[in-house]
Amino acid sequence: MHWIDWTIVAVYLVWIAWDGLRMTKRSHEIEGYFLASRSLPWWAVGLSVMATQLSAITMIGTTGQGYADGMRFLQFYYALPIAMIVLSATLVPFFHNARVYTAYEYLERRFDAKTRAFTSLLFLLSRSMSLGVVISAPAVVLAVVMGISVTNTVLLIALPTALYTMFGGVQAVTWTDVKQMVLIVFGLLAAIVALIAALPPDVGIPQALRLAGATGRLQTFDFTLDLSNPYTFWSGTIAALFLFCSYFGTDQSQVQRYLTARSVAEARESLLMSAYWKIPLQALVLLVGVFVFVFYLFTPSPMLFNQVHERQVREGPRAGEYASLERRFATAAAARRNAGVALAEADAADDAARVAQAADAFNATEAEVRAVRAEALTLVREATGDPTYNDVNYVFPTFVTTHLPIGLVGLLVAAIIAAAMSTISAELASLSTASVIDFYRRFLRPEGSDAHYLRVSRLATGFWGLLASAVAVWAVELGSLIEVVNRFGSFFYGSILGVFILAVAFPRATGTGAFVGLLAGMASVAWVASFTRIAFLWHNVIGAVVVVIVGLAVSLVLRDGRMMK
Amino acid sequence: MTDAGPGYLRVVVIWAAVLVALYLFQEYFS
Repeated sequence: MHWIDWTIVAVYLVWIAWDGLRMTKRSHEIEGYFLASRSLPWWAVGLSVMATQLSAITMIGTTGQGYADGMRFLQFYYALPIAMIVLSATLVPFFHNARVYTAYEYLERRFDAKTRAFTSLLFLLSRSMSLGVVISAPAVVLAVVMGISVTNTVLLIALPTALYTMFGGVQAVTWTDVKQMVLIVFGLLAAIVALIAALPPDVGIPQALRLAGATGRLQTFDFTLDLSNPYTFWSGTIAALFLFCSYFGTDQSQVQRYLTARSVAEARESLLMSAYWKIPLQALVLLVGVFVFVFYLFTPSPMLFNQVHERQVREGPRAGEYASLERRFATAAAARRNAGVALAEADAADDAARVAQAADAFNATEAEVRAVRAEALTLVREATGDPTYNDVNYVFPTFVTTHLPIGLVGLLVAAIIAAAMSTISAELASLSTASVIDFYRRFLRPEGSDAHYLRVSRLATGFWGLLASAVAVWAVELGSLIEVVNRFGSFFYGSILGVFILAVAFPRATGTGAFVGLLAGMASVAWVASFTRIAFLWHNVIGAVVVVIVGLAVSLVLRDGRMMK
Repeated sequence: MTDAGPGYLRVVVIWAAVLVALYLFQEYFS
């Protein structure tokens, strides 16, 4: 990276840390620290909700998916607007009127202390692990493209975030989220403009889309009924509805966002902002990846995008095989470029028969490029002994650092770091809130002063920051980042949602019923995940349904048993 | 709750319109 780009990144880091830290003066008591004294406007909360959900994994993993696989992943978000309506009409007013700090606190009022403690503990476990992944995902990739160590990139991302969250509390989280969200969207728009500007003179936007469409990369609907396929219209609208209701309705990192809103109406408005903008925003992210694919049709592309693993293979005993694959790749890529030009010309001439013929030829060359890349991936996995190796997360950062002009590189690296920080800060604040409110204040020291709880909360935020950074350095070994994060969550997610459904919709459900139901739901998900090929999104449905059925049954049996006595 | 009703309907209408637009986009360029 050029020194100007380094300067931009450094200026961003210093500015955002200062911006967060100056909120310290507004966080003198515990309600200000955790909930901004329930005083924030809906638009800031709404942007914070979106910034929390959009992590650096979205910036690097989802653009990579757009490049390699196209826009199919968009289906994952189809249920989000409906989930926002469901939550706005159900859980949001319950939480606000109960004036709770955490979602789990509400469960004690409705059920009992053990249900609250257990769900909060599950949140702490799963969120602290996934937070490690949220930090390590961009840290690993940025380490490679910036040429520094992973420990350094972990520190670069996590240290300023932990600092401003620790001192500035949720005010710092929200107001930095707002600025980070603006930077992210600006960065994505700048990337897409740069990509369009880089198209060859005879390839316009319609031709670029035709090329992507011919390979199936613009497919956003897959109606096949296959429970093992993670991204179909059905999993995106039915199973993901459960995931999003659980994420936005029961995950403290999101619930805490809208608990800071001034009123129930403003909390609702903040969620509906995501309902309007999430699908278009995600489409933009994927489209960036699709345009990177089109860009590399006409510009020589590396066969694989992770240079560290590639270097290992080049210097190892299978270097000859790799070099031979690279020659095949160069030939296949050249053939694909020619076929792409022919297709673009046919499209510009508006000749349907020629377009169909050229599309077939183009697809054949694309299949050959894919096949060579797949062989290269297998070779790298075997040669490096890393079976999870994948280069999808390196595509966009590699494009940014090798093909964008000076200045824009710094801006986009800052945007990737901003995406990471906006998620990390909200998660740190929520981990601190749940540990202090649901455990320390509830079980260890119920009668402490406000100043005491504020001190403990700051220490807790620092502790979670340190732990997550340690997990991040360790999580380097984990592969396929998006899947990992979602998997961590989905083991618990559906089941926790089931408990909240029991709490809100079934007055006859009891605390013991909910608790036993939760255990049964989690056991079912663990079984399904281990012994079937059902895709992870559906685990949320299974968990929630099992909890509701078992929870109700146990509640009714115990109640009837007591009545008989 | 009552004042939020029309807001929900608007979300559903825009959501359906976005999905239809995406489907047409997919079909046009495939």
